[in-house]
Amino acid sequence: MTQQLQSTRFGALDYAAEDIIHFPGGLAGFEDRRDFVLVEHAPDSPYQWLQSVDSGELAFLLVEPGLFVPEYAPEMPLRAVKNLELEESTPRVVYTIVTIPRGRPRDMTLNLAGPIVVNVETRRAVQIILEGDEHPVRRRAFPEAEQAAA
Amino acid sequence: MLVLTRKVNQSIIIGEGVEVMILEVRGEQVRIGIKAPRDVAVHRKEIFELISEENVSAAGTSPDDLPTPDKPA
Repeated sequence: MTQQLQSTRFGALDYAAEDIIHFPGGLAGFEDRRDFVLVEHAPDSPYQWLQSVDSGELAFLLVEPGLFVPEYAPEMPLRAVKNLELEESTPRVVYTIVTIPRGRPRDMTLNLAGPIVVNVETRRAVQIILEGDEHPVRRRAFPEAEQAAA
Repeated sequence: MLVLTRKVNQSIIIGEGVEVMILEVRGEQVRIGIKAPRDVAVHRKEIFELISEENVSAAGTSPDDLPTPDKPA
């Protein structure tokens, strides 16, 4: 059965129960928002939006980190592996949340310290909090603009 | 806040299934071991707060600001 949600960014969105990605623990700072759907940004775009089912105004921009950081391969904390019931062979997708400061697309950053992992079979997901300092919270997607030569 | 004094290798039990053990005290640093059920998240507070704040920033991202082929970053 199809349901509909009113989103601030995309207007009315139809979704089915099986489209829902469920975060049993929510996301950091948004623990009470647990059900989301994926919305493609545009046809053939690598970007997707993680739209809250319960809050029309809440959406996170996602991209697969390999697009910008090919060497990114965070170790999954055991707790997350168990939480998601991930076996060796379980299909999964890792996303990073993208932040774009208003009006400054060149300053886009990826949150490599808090990736999102989705168990594709069960559609359960977690935001992993990576302890340690090797993964920045704000990894620039593009190099800083060079100063124009005088 | 409940304040307790513990020695090395002594623990505190919180609720059902959460155990916090003092492993080592060296100068200003304390090593702590935590046993918790898998549905209880355990993080250093400053890292959790950093990621929470970044999530709040990320939630302000507008589709209009995404780079596109005709509007590169």
